[in-house]
Amino acid sequence: MVSAGLVLLADLVLRDKHRGWLPAVALSGLGAAVIWTVTLILRDREAVAFGGTYSLDTFSIYFKFLFIGVAGLVILASADYVKKLEHQGEFWALLMLATSGMMLLAGARDLILIFVALELTSICQYALAAFVRDGKASEAGLKYILLGAIASAVTLYGMAFLFGISGTTKLVAVDGGTSIASLVLEGDPGTRAALVAGAVLLAAGLSFKVALVPFQMWVPDVYEGAATPVAAFLSVGSKAAGFAVILRVFYQGFGFGPESFISSDWSNMFAAVAAISMTVGNVMALVQTDIRRLLGYSSIAQAGNIAIGVAAVAAGATTGASGVTFFLATYAFTNLGAFFAILAISQRIGSYRIKDYAGMARRAPILAAVLAFCFVSLTGLPPTAGFVAKIYVFNAAVQSDLAWLVIVGVLNSAISAYYYLRVVRHMYLAEPEDESSFSPTPMLAIALGVTALGVLVVGLVPTPLIDAAQRAVEAL
Amino acid sequence: MTVAQGIFYLIAALAVAGGLGVVLARNTVYAALFLILALLAVAGIYILLASEFLALVQVLIYAGAITVLLLFALMLTRVGDLEETMVGAQWPLAVVASILLVGLLITTIATSDWPGDADGMITRIPFETLGEALFRQWAVPFEIASLVLLIALVGAIVLARDEEGDVEEAE
Amino acid sequence: MEAVAQQIPLEHFLVLSAILFSIGVYGVLTRRNAVLIIMSVELMLNAASINMVAFAAYTSPAAFTGIIFAIFIITIAAAEVGLALAIILRIFRNRGTANVDEVNALKW
Repeated sequence: MVSAGLVLLADLVLRDKHRGWLPAVALSGLGAAVIWTVTLILRDREAVAFGGTYSLDTFSIYFKFLFIGVAGLVILASADYVKKLEHQGEFWALLMLATSGMMLLAGARDLILIFVALELTSICQYALAAFVRDGKASEAGLKYILLGAIASAVTLYGMAFLFGISGTTKLVAVDGGTSIASLVLEGDPGTRAALVAGAVLLAAGLSFKVALVPFQMWVPDVYEGAATPVAAFLSVGSKAAGFAVILRVFYQGFGFGPESFISSDWSNMFAAVAAISMTVGNVMALVQTDIRRLLGYSSIAQAGNIAIGVAAVAAGATTGASGVTFFLATYAFTNLGAFFAILAISQRIGSYRIKDYAGMARRAPILAAVLAFCFVSLTGLPPTAGFVAKIYVFNAAVQSDLAWLVIVGVLNSAISAYYYLRVVRHMYLAEPEDESSFSPTPMLAIALGVTALGVLVVGLVPTPLIDAAQRAVEAL
Repeated sequence: MTVAQGIFYLIAALAVAGGLGVVLARNTVYAALFLILALLAVAGIYILLASEFLALVQVLIYAGAITVLLLFALMLTRVGDLEETMVGAQWPLAVVASILLVGLLITTIATSDWPGDADGMITRIPFETLGEALFRQWAVPFEIASLVLLIALVGAIVLARDEEGDVEEAE
Repeated sequence: MEAVAQQIPLEHFLVLSAILFSIGVYGVLTRRNAVLIIMSVELMLNAASINMVAFAAYTSPAAFTGIIFAIFIITIAAAEVGLALAIILRIFRNRGTANVDEVNALKW
């Protein structure tokens, strides 16, 4: 519904020849989406549409606002960057369509709709990743699309098992009819193997979207090869969309707590994946010399952190799942801020090597401060949003008797502190090779300001966002 | 063994042979031809399952259009001969992984109670019912799927358009 | 045709699809040419479709959703192949190869 408006606008963008106005058109499209969502909320809080395949609940609204925010910030930040590209119209159209796909995903509760919306976002993202006309971008695009195609085949095979055992593609039925959720509640041991196999395959396929092991290989390559604004969009949008689907499928479909007879199976699976992702991501990040690859591995590690919240199922949805939704929002602010600062710096100095960031605090004090602040937040130190989010997720894990996972998480945070703070130290303590100073363009400065403020405000006053996150998961 | 069983095993054998051909053939064009064999065999499976419409779609779109596209890509990107000179060095690992996977999947299939029709009959679904469902109940995914095709088209045009400056990087 | 169900149990179709899926996985793991990797992915997708259709045919008459799902799989697969081939062609024009491990300006 919301995305219908977006799609029309995106189509308009496609034909528009007045190139300077394209970002404005895209932004107003997002604005229309916001207004539409708000009116829908005012009219009717809980609604199910499209033959029960799509639900408009607090969960989907939370994620819709998150995606709109992310897309808006990315548009602001990339407006100047995109001017240099050919085919600007297509760039904006792909970005908007990817966003509408994500918004559909947030509300989808039917396997067919989930699959189609997932492919809508993915295919836009493949094209975006390969968009820039150089060899590295094409290569990133190729790796992205090949792994993505494999991941969607795996997802589909999992969906086939779920469909076969339940005879339906609905996660939850509107009127108490058969659904995957009702089948799980019956707890017939004959359905167990198929359900678990379906869950494993589905989780493996979805791990591609959120950059979890075993489908994490594309992340550093795509972050390095794709245009930086695209990488920023992928890192945050794709992760949030993927986790939204994971929460929807696993919490709503497979159920949590004692009444679901497979919840401990999938909780253990996510705990293991979280531990491996954190370790792989952080250890690999230690040796990176390109700041985008560093963020790529850091993104794998952060996906592991978020997956802790998914695994913390025994504590109930309000603790575990809301940790995931809250973490995703803080991660959106933090990672976008870091990417935008890198975009501003590297566009100017023409290099993404960490070595060339030496003395940046003197050349571009504001940019360096924002980047350092975001890195502190990614490490998970106070007074940032990242700190609150990490504590929240770890707390959920402790409540679910996953103390070992918390220990792994804390150790990993220590490793990550080393490479994040190494960059910060380099920017503040090393001597610059070139003394010329510079500042970001106005549009980029706005985007940077919003993200940095977001990280700080959520870090100091987290309660409103936590409340929103908890209300969101009540719908599950 | 009845006729239906015979047909099933014949088609299944063809599908598996085609599949093996796709992943094992040295010559890339042979691999593509094997893919056509496998896809046609899958269409045969659909007919056995009384889904003629799907079989038709499979033959026309999959075995027809998509494989032609793939063959084109193979021809356009060939360097010298069509042999794939090396198979990745990790093939023994891949064999183990695939055999493990097939074992796991078959165990899952064997240990689950799949719901089935009480009368043991395959229900033939008329075209009309399918069309109704596709355009009523599943209209939204249908529209999105058409969008996906549009995006792929736009993306492919943007990405593959030949422009100056493309060749510079080819050392 | 309607008698098929009595002679061939559902599990046979599922096993066939499992075998095809695993063959596809093997191809994905060993093939180096990007076009051949896509072909292997097509095998995996077809395996999923066989499952969907078999379940749809064997379960209650109302559950023909599987056939609808298979139609969507074919559509999306076409889109994916088209875009992937465009990217492969562009890389080939730049580098003169379609092998994934010769495409190595980025570390694999």
